Amino acid sequence: MITVKDLKKSYAEKPALKGIDFAIKKGEIFGFLGPNGAGKTTTIKIVTGKLKADHGQAFIKNMNVTEEQKRIIPMVGVVPEQANLYERLTIKQNLEFFCRLYQVSFLNIDKYLELVELKEEENTKVKNLSKGMRQKVLLIRALLHDPEILFLDEPTSGLDPASAAGIHRILMNLNAEGKTIFLTSHNMEEVDKLCDRVAFLDDGEIVAAGSPEELKLKYSDKKIVVVIKTDNGSEERTLDITGSESADQIAEWIKADKIISIHSTESSLADIFVEITGRQVR
Amino acid sequence: MNIKRILAIFYKELQDIKSNSNITVMFLIPILLTYLWENLIPGMPSGMGLSLGMMFLIVMVGMYVPAMLIAEEKEKNTIEVLLFSPATSLEILIGKGLLTFTAILIISLLLLVLTGIYSQLFIIFTGVFLTTIFSIATGMIVGLLSPNQMATGVIGTPVYLILLLVPNLSIMDIEIMQGLGKVLPTYYFLNMMRFAIEGKGFAEMYTELAVIGGSVVIALLVLLYIFQRKGFRN
Repeated sequence: MITVKDLKKSYAEKPALKGIDFAIKKGEIFGFLGPNGAGKTTTIKIVTGKLKADHGQAFIKNMNVTEEQKRIIPMVGVVPEQANLYERLTIKQNLEFFCRLYQVSFLNIDKYLELVELKEEENTKVKNLSKGMRQKVLLIRALLHDPEILFLDEPTSGLDPASAAGIHRILMNLNAEGKTIFLTSHNMEEVDKLCDRVAFLDDGEIVAAGSPEELKLKYSDKKIVVVIKTDNGSEERTLDITGSESADQIAEWIKADKIISIHSTESSLADIFVEITGRQVR
Repeated sequence: MNIKRILAIFYKELQDIKSNSNITVMFLIPILLTYLWENLIPGMPSGMGLSLGMMFLIVMVGMYVPAMLIAEEKEKNTIEVLLFSPATSLEILIGKGLLTFTAILIISLLLLVLTGIYSQLFIIFTGVFLTTIFSIATGMIVGLLSPNQMATGVIGTPVYLILLLVPNLSIMDIEIMQGLGKVLPTYYFLNMMRFAIEGKGFAEMYTELAVIGGSVVIALLVLLYIFQRKGFRN
């Protein structure tokens, strides 16, 4: 569905992207993770044809995004990081304007307003909306022309947990309907929960990619923590799960009825990012 | 070019300005000024209040409104969404200019009704039509050059003042202003208004029509050049 080959982009000779490659299949939720300034927004801008790369190419459904932008625009919906809605217009007026621009029916407006629970607020001016509500309006705006692919740039940045969970629910529903979703975020939990595959972007380079499970497996320390009974109460023992010695040890403890609990020490995506890049995602 | 998309942008602007006091006040000022000049200033020659009101309308509203509309889209980043829609840049510019153009024509009509001048309407509206296109194109240039609404004042005010004040001062027989005025289309617009009110016909306005027409072409070419170089981006 989306293919990116060796994208490079610099701003005032400072490299923002240093040659990235990735491919996204139809119906996937693909997460692009990285700290602020890693190059996530630049990638979205290039892949949606808003910005020209210095080198490399991006394709949507085998169409070059810079050469065939007119054909690509109706297939794509974009939720930008910055809530660029018309503040003096109401929710409904904003959405109707976009229906007119894309020349699609107003019918989808009510459907999506109900889906995101904003129907009662439809005549409220955007300037009076909370950040979470604005984010929902941006999402609806990107969906009005029924695009096949959604690009979301930090869709839950700055939202409270309840609003973020609402957006996650909607994205999962849209994905279930078959929409391909490209999501940038620096929220590792969000990406872990939503994405089929992720790529870690750091300083303009993809430093790791795969499904969250694959990455966790690859970068896991392959250890478990076993809490066992002792004469003084309990004790935690860390075992390596790659060798047969641990299996023998666990079997022994089970026979002796010593095991209280067993825990995996699986890394989170945030841990993995720190391990790979040596720095925190912010 | 898609008329429906142009009308969509026009309609959006129309909805938006209803609650944009910066713009609505600009539309009301020429009406108020014309009323004051025509009725409250003793010794004002007949039709002079209308001419000055029209000048203010075309120069200030014609330039200020499109400049502000474009700069605001850039400042608030809404232009990104428009550019990533099926609307072309030309459709966006026309949609934005259409609101100002329509408003100026309607307010011009109101000013004529207010002053009771109904003669030579075709000549007056020819002048209004052409000079408005010049003003809107100039205002759009200011909007494209301005990164935000505040900057339209810095970049635009000298332009607005020269185009508005020089022709007005030239009426007062200030020699230097008359010299300067001869290179400005607004000076010739004021002449056209005066000639029309005096009952003269198109045959006596060839110079005025040629200068205003030429200015329209130059303003549109400069707009095109700046747009191609800079686009809507800062």
